[in-house]
Amino acid sequence: MASFDVMPEVQLFQPVELDDALKLADELGSDGWLLGGGQDTYGWLKDRAKQPRAMIDLNGIEALQGIRKTDDGMEIGAATILRDIIRNEDINRDYSLLSQAASRVASPQIRNVGTLGGNLSQDTRCWYYRRGLDCYRAGGNICYADGPQSMNREHAVIGASRCVAVSPSDTATALLALDATMVAENTEGQRFLAAEDFFVGPNTHITQMTALKPGEILSAIRIPKKWANQRFYWEKVADRDVWDFALVSIAVSMAMDGDKIADSRFVCGGVACTPHRLTNVEQAVRGKTLSNESADEVAPLASEECKPLNYNHFKLPLMENLVRRAMRG
Amino acid sequence: MDIATYKDDVWGQEVLNGVSWDLLWLVIVLAFIFIAGHAIYETTRKRAQKPSSEGARVNRHEAIDRLFHWVMAGSVFVLLITGIFPIIGLNFAWLEIHWIAGIILTIVVVFHILRSFTQDLSSMALGPSDLKEALDETVKPGKYSPAQKSMHMVVSILTLLVIGSGLIMFLQIETPWWERPNSLSEATLGLVFFVHGISTLGLVGVICLHIYFGLRPEKLFYTRSMIKGWISREELNAHHDQQRWKPDETT
Repeated sequence: MASFDVMPEVQLFQPVELDDALKLADELGSDGWLLGGGQDTYGWLKDRAKQPRAMIDLNGIEALQGIRKTDDGMEIGAATILRDIIRNEDINRDYSLLSQAASRVASPQIRNVGTLGGNLSQDTRCWYYRRGLDCYRAGGNICYADGPQSMNREHAVIGASRCVAVSPSDTATALLALDATMVAENTEGQRFLAAEDFFVGPNTHITQMTALKPGEILSAIRIPKKWANQRFYWEKVADRDVWDFALVSIAVSMAMDGDKIADSRFVCGGVACTPHRLTNVEQAVRGKTLSNESADEVAPLASEECKPLNYNHFKLPLMENLVRRAMRG
Repeated sequence: MDIATYKDDVWGQEVLNGVSWDLLWLVIVLAFIFIAGHAIYETTRKRAQKPSSEGARVNRHEAIDRLFHWVMAGSVFVLLITGIFPIIGLNFAWLEIHWIAGIILTIVVVFHILRSFTQDLSSMALGPSDLKEALDETVKPGKYSPAQKSMHMVVSILTLLVIGSGLIMFLQIETPWWERPNSLSEATLGLVFFVHGISTLGLVGVICLHIYFGLRPEKLFYTRSMIKGWISREELNAHHDQQRWKPDETT
């Protein structure tokens, strides 16, 4: 692939009203590109692997900014930068799972410009795909990452269907564990999507990572009160401590009844094309206390249905150990 | 409008990627133009009185053949829905349903081919005499009219192409019985996708016509015979040459 030192020429719109952005998104459809912090965008454009007709910069729209308390929890504008989430007192007090996850995204410089909506909507990091090869995800008929000689150390161990790429978002696992709702808007109105439905796998949408349709903008993320001030656990395992994507991560929310777990969400990142809920673990931990014994008992369930590729068997014990660590008292 | 789509393979060489699905709309539009034209022509045409379905009945399709037809029709519909809906933007987890329906279609088609050797193959074979029948309304056909034989031949060719290419594609995906082998070159894979796509488009057009003719008032007795198995003696006399087709009486 040829390398380029400069960005291609792309028409840039910088609306300041959400309605104007929605109209532009509607007019441009799949030819348009929504720009948040640009940390995923600029790589694509600079490599000429994606060539949108125009970009719609969402950063000047006030309605997409900010962190607000609501009757049922909290609402975060999709263009809110990650640094503001990490530093927000209310989030740190009530939903520290999200601020922990946001604080492990990439590097401080990227968190200063990267937005929550961008982090959630970013494309997969599969290098075959990002190199611009015409794989399934790019509309072709083959997966280069799933072959006898493919380098697939970072790829999926569960939920693959032809494409084996994984979701790279750190905040996505936390929001799934918090039962967040995504607010998607277009010129006709709003649509509310449970976080679990927002992220889509290749069995249904092989060329997409989210359920956002052309012309739609992710405007806000709502976190319900249900999980406020509950017990949380977050951990990310990556090759580097800073500026790296997760090999495997875990986000856990636990509602305790005395010393027993009444309800929980265990969500793994880096193992599937979407943030992957460990529902079998969630069922198994119900009524259990946090202890080494419980941890050893439920941890093997984490990798139960996984099918590793050639080079990512190591993800299975990682998943199990992250569950084990979350379950220790 | 392109017929095929191309892509660069891993070596940067241009290879086939598959059929251009823009053709789907062309096929549907052409099928409906033909249907509209035929319907207009038929309404302006004088035709003989419709024979009665009452009275004595003769056997046209045995139960096992009717079962084959409807299982095949069901599996083809499932295959078309699961194959085409995601392409036109109606997304759902289609792949597993698609290959299961494909296996069912393959089994029933193999059964049909084997069974055809125990039947009168000549009744479905197209020959020079069919041309005479097609051009002269006074010449009655045997069991099947030239139009029905032609439809059968086209459907057979397209179905065998779609099954053959589908089986090769099936071998390239992960199933409960094997892992993905990645054994075909990208150029070969593109050719297989193209054959599968183009034969699917052909089937879409042919099936539109098949359903239309099956629902036409003067042909409804054939559809009934595919459900109930019989046509009346009067319908037989009106539409078929009994020297060339001697069906059994039925109750």
